[in-house]
Formats: sequence, structure tokens, C-alpha cells
Amino acid sequence: MDISKEEAQGSLEQVQSAADRTRKTIASSYDSYLLIMWGLIWIVAFLGTHFFLAWVWQIWISLCGIGLIVTFLVSWQQFRKAKPIKIPASEKIGWRIFLFWSLLFAYMFIWLSILRPRHGIQINAFMCTTIMFAYVVTGLWFRSYHMLWLGIAVTCITLVGFYLIPTDYYCLWMAPTGGGAILGTGLYTRFFWK
Amino acid sequence: MAQLDNIIHQTVRLQIMSALVALDPGEQVDFVYMRKILNLTDGNLGAHLTKLENAGYVKIEKTFIARKPRTFVNATGKGRDAFDEHIAALKKIIEGSKK
Repeated sequence: MDISKEEAQGSLEQVQSAADRTRKTIASSYDSYLLIMWGLIWIVAFLGTHFFLAWVWQIWISLCGIGLIVTFLVSWQQFRKAKPIKIPASEKIGWRIFLFWSLLFAYMFIWLSILRPRHGIQINAFMCTTIMFAYVVTGLWFRSYHMLWLGIAVTCITLVGFYLIPTDYYCLWMAPTGGGAILGTGLYTRFFWK
Repeated sequence: MAQLDNIIHQTVRLQIMSALVALDPGEQVDFVYMRKILNLTDGNLGAHLTKLENAGYVKIEKTFIARKPRTFVNATGKGRDAFDEHIAALKKIIEGSKK
């Protein structure tokens, strides 16, 4: 079969266009919206903690509570509708992911009760890195490399904040960097990923 | 030497394979979403998928999710190899004409 250079070029452009549209479909799945939501929650919660320290538990419990409810409802709805891209055995994976996160939170509180951290920054850094551990693990499971690298990046950001940033400014550091990284990843995969 | 593939080269089938190869191996795309991505009718997409399936380039799986029938498609290893060779052949044609 012989074709001209122009026809070959046109074919390659069609290939690129179809591949881009497919990746955009993946990117615009619900994951990006949840990342945007959690990024905003981190930013608001950390800033709220910095400026209204006396309300720290109310801020985190209420915002994270809302976040968890929305995450569960969105995930449940998507599970029922089925995502456009199916990973083998994903129907069974949905419940396993839910159990994994539930167990992780349960173990988090068990570990905290055993380790008895000395101050709030320790508790916060512990919880942030544990959640990022879950991002890294799920990123590896599903080959969601943006989740994998996001988990690693925010872990590093948290460690920098814990070890290098003065305690009084930890929350001011975490809001734009940690929260911003999560928010930025969600925005990028939703609107700009091709 | 890389050769053009007559089955893949057809415009719609080329786009289908491009979309499928953009996914990770083992990932499947829903038939309805593929139709939307490529802006095709059910019949058109179905006919081309059948041709690709007969060549062993794609695998079509019909299943039920939440009691609704769903059809998922993925590229086989043979299909990915054939697609890669086709792309290499296209690039060779373009490079050859530049000399």
C-alpha cells in the first residue's frame, strides 16, 4: 500500500487527536473534581487553623466531614454509572478501596493512641503523610501516575514543613504548598491534561 | 521494515486504535464513550470494531453493570504491535520524503 507524505501526515494528526480526546475523557472523570475539593479543604483548613487556632478541631472535623460525605456520594454515584474507562475487576475494587480507606483511618487513630504525639503539628503531619501514603498506594494500584507523584510530592512538602518550617508558620506553609499541590493537580487533570 | 497495515489505515479504524492504544494495557473503554469521543454512530463504530476484532486487534466484552448491559473494548497485544508498526511506517514515509 503506497500513500503520499501528506496522507501520512494527516493520519498521524488523526492519531494524535484521537489519543488526546481519549486522555481528556480520563482526566475529566470524577477524580479531578475530588482532588479540587480536597485541595480547597486543605487550603481553608490550614489557613483557618493558623488564624483561628482555638477552633482547630471544629475546623478540621467539619471540613473533612463534608469532604468525606461528598467523596462517598460522588464515588457511589460513579460506581453505579460506571466510568468510561474500566480497569479489570474494577467493580470489585470499588468496595475494596472504600474498605482500604476506612481501615486506614481506623489504624491512623490506633497509631495515634499508641504513639501519643506531643503537639498538634505532629498529629497533623502524621495524618497528612498517612493520607499521602494512601495516594501513593492507590496510584501504584491503578497506574494513576499523577496520584502517585502527588502523594510523594505532598509527603515531601509535609516533611519540609515539619522539620524545617518554624512551628508558628507550619499551617501557612501547608496551605498553599500541600493544599495547592492537590488543588493544582485536580485543576490540571481536569482542564489541561491532554 | 515497518509496513502500513491495510486494516488499521482506514480513517475510523485508525482513530479507534489510537484511542485504545492511548489507554494502559488491560484498560477498557466503554462503547458509548468511544462513540462520543470519535463522533460516530452505533452502527459505524460497531462495524469497524468487528473488523478489528476479526483481525485480532481488539477485544470486545459485553457485560452488565448495575443491571444495565455495557460493552467495553480494549486493544490486544497483537493490535498494539500492529498499531505501533503502522505508526512507524507512517513516520518513515514522512521522513523519507524530507530527504
